[in-house]
Amino acid sequence: MVWDWKYALDILPGLLEVAPVTILATLGAFAVALILGLGLAFARRSTNRLLSGVTHAVVEFIRSTPPFVQLFFLFFVMPQFGVTMSALMTGILGLGIHYSTFLSEVYRAGIDSVEKGQWEAATALNFTPRQKWMRIILPQAIRPIIPVMGNYLITLFKETPMLLGITVVEMLSQAQIIGSQSFRYTEPVTLVGIFFLVLSYGASLLVKRLEIRLNVHR
Amino acid sequence: MKNLLSGAVPTIQLTLLGAALAFLLSFLGGFGRLSRFTAVRGVSGFIVEFFRGTSLLVQLFWLFYVLPFMGIRLESGMVGLLALGFNYGAYGSEVVRSAILSVPQGQHEAGISLNMTSLQRMRYIILPQAFRTMIPSFGNLLIELLKGTALVSLVTIPEMTFEALAMRTNDAQYTLEIFGWLLVIYFAISYPLTMLMRWTERRFSLGRL
Amino acid sequence: MSGSEVIERPDTEAPIEGKEPIVRFEKISKSFGELDVLKEVDLDLYPGERVAIIGPSGSGKTTMARLLMTLEEPTDGYIEVDGRQLWHKEVNGELVKANEKHLHEVRGDIGMVFQHFHLFPHMTVLKNLMEAPIKVKGQTKAKAREEALAMLEKVGMVDFADQYPARLSGGQQQRVAIARALVMHPKVMLFDEPTSALDPETVGEVLEVIKEIAKDREMAMMLITHEMSFARDIADRIAFFDEGKIQEQGPPAKLLNNPETERLGEFLNRFGIDGNHG
Repeated sequence: MVWDWKYALDILPGLLEVAPVTILATLGAFAVALILGLGLAFARRSTNRLLSGVTHAVVEFIRSTPPFVQLFFLFFVMPQFGVTMSALMTGILGLGIHYSTFLSEVYRAGIDSVEKGQWEAATALNFTPRQKWMRIILPQAIRPIIPVMGNYLITLFKETPMLLGITVVEMLSQAQIIGSQSFRYTEPVTLVGIFFLVLSYGASLLVKRLEIRLNVHR
Repeated sequence: MKNLLSGAVPTIQLTLLGAALAFLLSFLGGFGRLSRFTAVRGVSGFIVEFFRGTSLLVQLFWLFYVLPFMGIRLESGMVGLLALGFNYGAYGSEVVRSAILSVPQGQHEAGISLNMTSLQRMRYIILPQAFRTMIPSFGNLLIELLKGTALVSLVTIPEMTFEALAMRTNDAQYTLEIFGWLLVIYFAISYPLTMLMRWTERRFSLGRL
Repeated sequence: MSGSEVIERPDTEAPIEGKEPIVRFEKISKSFGELDVLKEVDLDLYPGERVAIIGPSGSGKTTMARLLMTLEEPTDGYIEVDGRQLWHKEVNGELVKANEKHLHEVRGDIGMVFQHFHLFPHMTVLKNLMEAPIKVKGQTKAKAREEALAMLEKVGMVDFADQYPARLSGGQQQRVAIARALVMHPKVMLFDEPTSALDPETVGEVLEVIKEIAKDREMAMMLITHEMSFARDIADRIAFFDEGKIQEQGPPAKLLNNPETERLGEFLNRFGIDGNHG
């Protein structure tokens, strides 16, 4: 028998112990991506050609190169410039930056989907630019993209195992450590797989329901 | 820089072979999920959700660490190829499925009215139209796959990222240069791919209007 | 039957002498869930005959065409095409549900023109016409091409042979769709509201084409339409559908001028005979 139930149950608490790290990395990176992504979307829309051009180039570059390598870059290179932070913080920042480039495109699509008439109406009512964005445009732009954001959250979650590359002890890394102690990898790695499957599949069902609800209430 | 470039060859090989496998599996999975037979639909749905749901790196580790315990020994390059192919194939199957479903029902009906068999309808009417819709998504997946190849360095495949990590251990003072160049080379591979996809998309959209 | 003048009509009160119907609907019923769209409808169509089907929307008229084209399966009843069962197959003297192979054999006699044309957007006009003759009937490319061009000539679209459908107006697309159905040489042609999706200014050209091909007295035609004056001009017989049944049928002159049922009277009042309904 390849699978040992007793062993699997024995190691489960050890694995779940680091589940908060995986979750924290996911939510932290998502928060970074949400905020930075909005910033990038605005910069890209800027009437300043230089700003929007540079933003465009940076976004294209970051999204075309592996986040795994970007993590190493931050992890190894930042200290050379005197910036030190924990591996987990580096991971949150790295994944967050990578996904902010995707979210900036999502925001853009959302903003573009707001009818031109809404801008004109907001101008006609003499809102300040800030009010226009905060009260009229963004609320309408964000609503239809919520499911897409949800899907990126799930994707991001599934990317967190790569943080083990920069010594973050998240779930897969923990599984590797447990496995190396007893030379039994089957149970720990499989359990981590199931953990990811259950959470991400469950979340994807939630996103689907959310999508339907958002459509119904339109 | 030289060593990095020699590492680029396995990276490109992995990308292309992985993409070929993923492309094949995309269609297999996509058709499976649209099958008339509930059993086929169920099984392919399960497989697709499985590979989509359990993170690429976990799959990679599973193949690398667990398979040998089952008496299956694969070369590490093969492990990387399989993990990439199945993972992105699962995503691709969703692309295929939704593209086929996006072709209007009227096209099926027109095919029936001309007495085409279901195979002929799929081959001559539905797929050529669906294929157009698939191109941009496949293009994005190809870039994702290229980015994914960096992860296989963790299972000791000597591709570009692996080389870079090895180089850093020897020449820590050149860290910035090594990883800077590494990113640039990845970009140099992926950007032409992006361009190629955009060009293909334009080419295939001729005739629409 | 020369048939060059639309006034010349066979007497369709009685079956056309000596001929067997090409299509026979027998006690056909169709339900979508709770909704009974057709209720035990009987209708015969004779070779070369032109039957117009009129009636309010939701009366089940389009469903008749869709059942005959095998796009929809009847809930109950039988359809016969040229002496063969369409939805059933005789196995040891018993009628069982037909499989795809059987449907494929029988529906070759039927052609259809759709309300929304359904041209293949990824093929040129010419390719749209050549695809099925080559792939389904196994014609040579040269022959298919020759016939496709001849048919395009007939519907006045030969100049557009190399265009893609998206460039054409609705009326032009529908003319191509008609030609595409015709090159398959069906024995029965179904027109499912062929002008309903068109801009008013292109309705005329499509009706002209249909009138033109109606001169061919070999092919039977079933026309589902809202254009009353067109139905009057072209049909040998008009059937009025309402609430899933044929309420009244007969030659156009009689049916349109002296409706027997109250429902038809109301319907004609509302839609008028000039085709100028809203």
